[in-house]
Amino acid sequence: MTSQTPGRPKFDAAPSGGGVSPKANTGGSSLSLRLEHVALHAGGKPDGRVLIGDLSLSMNPGERWVLLGPNGAGKSTLLVALAGLLQPNAGSILLQGKPLADWPGEALARQRAWCPQFWLDPFPVSAWETVACALFALQPEQSANEVETRARHWLAEFDVGHLADSDVRMLSGGERQRIALATACAQGAPLLLLDEPSSHLDWSHQALLQARLKTWAANGGTVLAAVHDLNLAWTLATHALLLDGKGGAVHGVREAVLTAEQLSAAYGVPVSLREENDARWFRVDLENSV
Amino acid sequence: MTLKPPPLTLALLLAALGVPAALLLGLLSGSSGWGWPSEEILWLIRLPRVLAAFGTGAALALAGALIQLVTRNPLGDPHVLGVTSGASVGALLMLMLAPTGMLLAPEIGAVIGALGAMSLVFALAWRSMGRGLAPSASPGTVIVLLVGVMIGAACSAGVSFMLAMANDLQLRNIVFWLLGDLNGAALWWPVWAAVGFALMLAWPRAQELDWIARGDAWAWTLGVPVAKRRRIALFAACLATGAAVATAGSIGFVGLVAPHIVRLTGLRHARMLLPFSALFGGVFLVLADTVARTVIAPAQLPVGVISASVGVPLFLMLLLRRRA
Repeated sequence: MTSQTPGRPKFDAAPSGGGVSPKANTGGSSLSLRLEHVALHAGGKPDGRVLIGDLSLSMNPGERWVLLGPNGAGKSTLLVALAGLLQPNAGSILLQGKPLADWPGEALARQRAWCPQFWLDPFPVSAWETVACALFALQPEQSANEVETRARHWLAEFDVGHLADSDVRMLSGGERQRIALATACAQGAPLLLLDEPSSHLDWSHQALLQARLKTWAANGGTVLAAVHDLNLAWTLATHALLLDGKGGAVHGVREAVLTAEQLSAAYGVPVSLREENDARWFRVDLENSV
Repeated sequence: MTLKPPPLTLALLLAALGVPAALLLGLLSGSSGWGWPSEEILWLIRLPRVLAAFGTGAALALAGALIQLVTRNPLGDPHVLGVTSGASVGALLMLMLAPTGMLLAPEIGAVIGALGAMSLVFALAWRSMGRGLAPSASPGTVIVLLVGVMIGAACSAGVSFMLAMANDLQLRNIVFWLLGDLNGAALWWPVWAAVGFALMLAWPRAQELDWIARGDAWAWTLGVPVAKRRRIALFAACLATGAAVATAGSIGFVGLVAPHIVRLTGLRHARMLLPFSALFGGVFLVLADTVARTVIAPAQLPVGVISASVGVPLFLMLLLRRRA
């Protein structure tokens, strides 16, 4: 066991050194997230529609997971539960072997970052100040200058460095999304829980997102991202979790989960795929659907 | 649109000059004209009134800023929590029923009414103040606001009932009380104490209120105890509002608009927003009251008339200039 955590992404540092020393933020070795017989109902209510019946799996450092499933299948609810905001209706979620509910809020914030699907910005605030929130919350010993430098660094990483001083309420959807992603990464927690991180992003920025997430995982982080684009899912993921919205779930390495048969069953439309070398392309077979 | 960095030095300078200037202006102008008043008038009438005006404006503006932040609602206003209407019911009951000559009767009634309404809102909305974290749950902040509005509506019905039952003399007192009136605001220090206490409760964790305003569930994932912070902030806002209403009756506009004006100047972080809203609200109400008691001297206007007729154009100007 070392004082420096292998689970912490190494590129989480200020540009040009910046005088930021990554803190040891875990007690154990590498961060893993385990689900044991987890059941989730809509809204977390006991009488809610069953979204997940009985799900056990574990996610480990270096893995990039995509979370797939039709609208309303429970992707966001699962991410909310994994963030600790919602108790599962049955089973337990363990981070480093410790149930989520037993983690103090601030310690948990050093382990996982949650990026929600929707942002409502009621008051004026600049992009860098939004990113800085996460840093102020977790690294109170940092000077304001260091925080601002790091915030601007992460905005630049997601190609919104030029918007650092803009009011977030005036930006386009894709720009707002990239600021949200910069915020999640700036938090510096190894586990990223991203709810539709590719929404509103154009192709070049979807590619940028993939590159950033791959680096994140390569540096020992874990990524779980809900996505709808199967082709993006394939190139992004090492693993996949596919919800069918009726309580069922398939999970494993992407090759085992992203099959025409399983995708067709989950989405209720015929999905066909083309394989070339190790790559797969997906499309919905419109002629044979509905 | 690029946001300007917060002009902290300038704001401090303006506050250091503006607050004493406004207080001095209030002290020097009166119904008999401009100039240094006699010692008796200064100590017994002008000074308490100017201090009461400042404290009332500060309390309302602070309450407005707090409510806007923790309900994530730019339309947040001290009066949406029902405290004002509760205080009105208490004050009016005392105006009608208290024996003549009883000291501070409406003020005592207002305090009791405000505390009653506040307890009711907290009892009914306690759980909702902590909810709204999971996206699928019904948004707790909306429920808090609706409970406040409903309590307020019930109290307003009580006010209407008393208006219908009052005789002519009582009606005049009641109407002036309802319009917001600093004439005869005898005790200035309770509202100052309330402002101080509210700031003490909310200011040390002001940054967390900013994060809650960005997203309450998201703030929770950063380790912020959202339910606790929200309850403390709403409690502080209720106390400040209750004290303001007990001092000067129901004065609109300042609580809603002062925080927005402060934000438009660039002071948008809660750490600065809270104290500067209070300072701005205080200065604003001192000036409005000074105008209210001098413009048609020796008669006096209710301060609410001036605060709205000056404040509305001022706010619209600031708002539309930024959008242009």
